[in-house]
Amino acid sequence: MLRLFSRRNVMAAGVVFFALLPFFANPYVLFIGNLALMYILLSVGLNMLLGYAGQLAFAHAALFGVGAYTTGLLKLELGLHYGLALVAGVGLATVTGLAVALPALRLRGLYLALATVAFAQATLWVFTHWNSVTYGGAGFRVPPLDFEPFTSRPDIGVYVLTFVIVLVSVPLGWNMLRSRVGRAWVAIRESEVAAESLGIDITRYKSIAYVVSAMYAGAAGGLFAGMLGIVTPESFDLFQVIVHFCMVIVGGLGSLWGGVLGAVGLVGLQEVLRAFRHLQEIAFGGLILFTVLVIPGGAVSLLKRYVPGWKEPLRRTEHDE
Amino acid sequence: MFAYLIASGISTGALYAMVAIGLVLVYRSTGHINFSHGELFMFGGFIAYTCFVILGMPYFVSLVVAVIGGFALGVLCDRTVYRPLIKAPALTMVLATVGFSFLIKGVARFFWGAREGGDYVAFPAAVDPSPIPVGGIMVFPQQLLVLGGAFFFVVVFTIFFRRTRWGKMMQATAENATAAYLSGIRVERVYTMTWGTGACIASAAAVLMAPLTLLSPDVGFNLLLRAFAATVLGGLGSMPGAIIGGFLVGIIESLAGGYIHTGLQEVSAFIIIIVVLVFRPAGLFGIRRLRET
Amino acid sequence: MSKLRATDISISFGGLKALDSVGIDVEAGEIRGIIGPNGAGKTTLLNVICGIDPPDTGTVWLDGESINGLKTSQIADRGIGRTFQTTKLFKGMTVLENVMTGLHGKMRANPLAAAFSFRSVLREEAGAARRAREVLEFVRMLEFADEEATSLSFGQQRLVEIARALVSEPEGLLLDEPAVGLSLTRVTEVDELLRRIRLERGVTILMIEHVIRLVMGVCDRITVLNGGRKIADGTADEVMADAEVAEAYLGAELDA
Repeated sequence: MLRLFSRRNVMAAGVVFFALLPFFANPYVLFIGNLALMYILLSVGLNMLLGYAGQLAFAHAALFGVGAYTTGLLKLELGLHYGLALVAGVGLATVTGLAVALPALRLRGLYLALATVAFAQATLWVFTHWNSVTYGGAGFRVPPLDFEPFTSRPDIGVYVLTFVIVLVSVPLGWNMLRSRVGRAWVAIRESEVAAESLGIDITRYKSIAYVVSAMYAGAAGGLFAGMLGIVTPESFDLFQVIVHFCMVIVGGLGSLWGGVLGAVGLVGLQEVLRAFRHLQEIAFGGLILFTVLVIPGGAVSLLKRYVPGWKEPLRRTEHDE
Repeated sequence: MFAYLIASGISTGALYAMVAIGLVLVYRSTGHINFSHGELFMFGGFIAYTCFVILGMPYFVSLVVAVIGGFALGVLCDRTVYRPLIKAPALTMVLATVGFSFLIKGVARFFWGAREGGDYVAFPAAVDPSPIPVGGIMVFPQQLLVLGGAFFFVVVFTIFFRRTRWGKMMQATAENATAAYLSGIRVERVYTMTWGTGACIASAAAVLMAPLTLLSPDVGFNLLLRAFAATVLGGLGSMPGAIIGGFLVGIIESLAGGYIHTGLQEVSAFIIIIVVLVFRPAGLFGIRRLRET
Repeated sequence: MSKLRATDISISFGGLKALDSVGIDVEAGEIRGIIGPNGAGKTTLLNVICGIDPPDTGTVWLDGESINGLKTSQIADRGIGRTFQTTKLFKGMTVLENVMTGLHGKMRANPLAAAFSFRSVLREEAGAARRAREVLEFVRMLEFADEEATSLSFGQQRLVEIARALVSEPEGLLLDEPAVGLSLTRVTEVDELLRRIRLERGVTILMIEHVIRLVMGVCDRITVLNGGRKIADGTADEVMADAEVAEAYLGAELDA
């Protein structure tokens, strides 16, 4: 019976559900679905850096913001095609990710955490204070998107675009994790010295982790700007980092599918509590604390224990291929 | 102008130093950075606000209540976050304290936040708010109170840390927890005391600061970043370094805000953290550590 | 000819001299033991050789070529494997994945190719898995291939770590106390394994070991360190006969 809920089945059901959503959902539900898909991208990227490579970096929301601002501003100021603006957003987020990585490579553990917290705040400061470019604290509106001739409804257009990007990029990330790249990341997380002694160039592989996770964050940011239609600094503040962390931690650090489940599961919670900042803080802060204390492997560790067919590479067994 | 900026830099720097002391105290004895330290500061401030503004107690009584409350919160942090994770890796501990910090922030916002006109509450001046001339510059009496208060707390703390039994046990535990345990020190109690003491100094700082600025549930994080800047500037883990670092951060911030651009006041702490960590991770006074294998 | 040579190595940490102009010369195909009391600088010497701790002075030579200044990963790529005093298996990976990680330097898949799972990547992965299984068989741990590595017993973990270092077919192997904390039967197994590693794989071995039975039995020659200096170098009998060794090392052990 439980076999029905194997990873493969659950994921297939998820894909079908998200594929059919535009046909029956009202615009609000569709928006939530779109948010969920976007958070999947964020969580996959963050999980690579934090969960697999073990780099305690807080810069993720800032890179997410760079993606959103770049995409939104290019659309607004230059009237660039949304697709191109999105690509540029991913590009600039990636470059910023690399710019974070270069100094960050010299740091580890707590020092890395401190430096990236400072970087995240500095980026937020730029969003808020560089009025001539970013429109300051109030943010700006992104001009309506146009998906003609495919659909006359921009929200469906963004949704489908997000869905396609998720459908392509999550398997790509998954493949990467199953290869020597994923093993190198886990090796670095567990012991840098041992990783080096096996011929893993830790500088190179840490940089790769930063860059790849920045690409996911940038794509999510660009899509976020498109689906929300408004870009403001507070979408990228430290609380957003907490939301992202919470999704990955509650789902399962170091488990790609756990992070995906966490993202989908917690979007609803965030939406229900949207009007209540304090309850969001209590819920997400409390969930992080609870998970770390009580189920350190996250929800996916329970699935792995009780439901057949949830094993993953970098935790895989013979019967699971 | 210069003298004024220095004076105000020194008084805010004194607060940063106080917050940094708690951060370093916990870091030295546990090897972890408490990311919820800023929220302990903030919560202490709101306890004093409740006593002083809502219940109408005298300022100094409010201060004492806040210090006791801060201690209790520090102990809570020790019991719920640190103790259960004592063997967990650094990454887990950071995540846990970050989670805890948002939990407290949410609770504070629930009780004291979300009023008309935002989350900020005004904390009335404890002393006469009109500026007085000191040595040719105008200063607010509250600034002098901050400076005096900070000096008082730093001295009391130093005496506590260096001369009392508890302080010596903290030092011994920080040096070598196993040896301390073997020589009969009840290490767990020392940890509890460490978290409590750190939080109570932070609370005191919040009560001193509140009349100068506004109080909000978000203020903790700003102070935490300043305290980070102070500790990395002074060399992570060095107590005198953190105090000097605190003053330096206050002064740098004040000068950058006054002479270059007001916006820089906010951001200079981040720049200090990044620059120091990247170019001189051991801080201004620290020595480089052995690489662990 | 000498496979691995270190000359005049000195290194200090925070004013404390960990190694004081130490030299060592390991012949190709030799099994060399390093012994010495705690704090003698044994692990530091291994760390210097594999590039983890760059020495203050002195040179490390591999096949007659200086490898000073190379990164640890580059030295690993040149065919030096390494195990650690406290086993460093990667948590969250199976035994097989741990051993496959040892092949990192022999594999070519770049992140992009890996993301798209090109046929060449899959072929390489399959080949890596095959080689990992083969070496697990060699250390007689194949039956545990799909276990979570850190769930194994201490002794088993040591064997997996040796397999992980061996899988890339290194020419030299640096072992840090391979038999520490093992039962007597296990020690005999390690003894036999080391001989097979040399015989069947032609690997030169430099190992730190406290278990005297193993050192005396399997090592061709033994280097004795004490207080950061080399005090003796020779066959087991020569070393045992050395007065300074008896005083520094065995004396210290008898006291303990």
